[in-house]
Parts: sequence; structure tokens; C-alpha cells
Amino acid sequence: MRSMNLRMKQKLNEVFSVEPNDLGINFLTYYFKKITVYLKVAPFFYVIPIAFLASIFLYFVLGRFLVKLVTVLQYGF
Amino acid sequence: MDFKKLLVNCLPSFLIVFKRFIGLIFNPYKTMRKISAEKDYYQPAVIIGLIFVYFKFIYFLRDKIYPATLIYILFIFNFLLTVVLFYLLSKLFNKNKNEITFSSYVFTFSYSLFPTLIWFLSTSILYILLPPPRTFSILGKGFSIFFVSYSLSLLVWKIILVYLAVRFSSKQNFFRIIFMIIFYLIWFIPYSVILYQLKLFRIPFI
Repeated sequence: MRSMNLRMKQKLNEVFSVEPNDLGINFLTYYFKKITVYLKVAPFFYVIPIAFLASIFLYFVLGRFLVKLVTVLQYGF
Repeated sequence: MDFKKLLVNCLPSFLIVFKRFIGLIFNPYKTMRKISAEKDYYQPAVIIGLIFVYFKFIYFLRDKIYPATLIYILFIFNFLLTVVLFYLLSKLFNKNKNEITFSSYVFTFSYSLFPTLIWFLSTSILYILLPPPRTFSILGKGFSIFFVSYSLSLLVWKIILVYLAVRFSSKQNFFRIIFMIIFYLIWFIPYSVILYQLKLFRIPFI
């Protein structure tokens, strides 16, 4: 029982190690929390499709420059 | 005998690093919170060791002017510079100075190197499989879109991990963290340009 209390205390200390974020304006804090929920657990689930759409958009905007950029990036390591 | 002891100490840490790596993919917030409270120094040593192996690997891949060990030492210097800067900035902001520990920064920032390591490693493997330059054919364009989306995904993951690393180490709010990151970038971007001019890093490994 005592060890369980200790574990519970440790867990609570871990969870409350940082204060919740407050952006100063209520609606900003509200939307910040709404958005960050998606990034806290399995962010790739949302990030990969958005990144794919963003790269297609970039291709339409930048055109051939994107292909050149990839060549530069491939030499970048 | 000492080597055996080192191996015995390193193996569980290696497994923990692997577990945390998976955790950072599926549950970055919770995992980074746990990492910030870590005390096992073998874990950052394992990550830094993996990066050393990577630097040795790419040395044989491309004609490098400088030896791999020198580049690696420079990476360690950059890494420590980053950690110390964020640590000092947090000390400046935080009222309760004892709340912030340097070790927490070392742990969280070393784990946030994973997206960088994956990107650099995959780019170097792709350099062997699909050597540049890319062409303007359909396949070339298709690969370019894939590569940009892949790089963007890893960049977003990196930003999330760095933000969480600073958040759990400094215990500061969103605006102060953004300020710290901007302050860091103000000197880091020109510094990266100097490294590029000296042909030490084309893209900084951080």
C-alpha cells in the first residue's frame, strides 16, 4: 500500500512537473490546447498527410526549383 | 573485466533508448516528460555513440576534407553550446533556480537528436541508392515531392521534440520558449553559414 502511494505520488509529481500553458488571451489558450492535443500523441498520423499536401503545394508554387532544392538537400549530409 | 561491466551497463540503456525512441514517435509528450527526469547517463552516451558511428560511415561515403573525428568533436561542441545556452537562458527566466538541472537538458536534447540522425542517415543511404542530381522527369519530380514531404515530417517532429525538451527542462511557458528558440536561432544561423563556408557542415547536425 505504501509503495503504491509512493508510485502514485511520483506519477503525480511527473504529471504536474510543468504548469499548464497560459497564452494570456482565453481564446488563444483554448485553440492552443485544441491544436497541441493532436501533437502530443501520434503526431505522424497528422503530420505525414499535411507534409505531403504541403510538398505538393510547394511543387505547384516553386516548380522546378523544388527539384533543384532536393538535389541540394541530397548533397547536404 | 571492465569492458564486460561496461557492456552490462550499456545493454539495458540501449534497450531503454530504443523503447524511448519508439515512445517519441507515438507518444512524444509523455515520453519526453519521462526523459527529463532520467538519471542514467549511459543513455545519452548510447545516442552520442550512434552519432559517432554515423560520422564514421559518411566519411567513407563522400570525399571529406576533414577527418570524421574532427567533425564529430565539432558536433559535440555545437551540442554542448546549444544545451548550455538554453540552460543559462532558463536560469535567467526561472525564479526557482534549483528547479532547473543541467542533466535534464543533456537528456532531453540528446533524445531530440533522433530526427536529425534519421534524416542524415536516410539521406546518405539515398545518396547511394538514388544519387543526385534529380532530373525533371516524372520520376524525378515524384521523388522530389516524396523527399520534401519526408523531410518536412521529420522537421516537424524535430520542432516538437525540441519544444518539449525546452518545456520540460526549463518548465517555462510557450512564449518564453519561443523567445529562447528565436534567441538561439539569431546566433545559430550565422554560425551555420560560417560552418558551411569552412566546409565543415553543409547542413548543421543539431
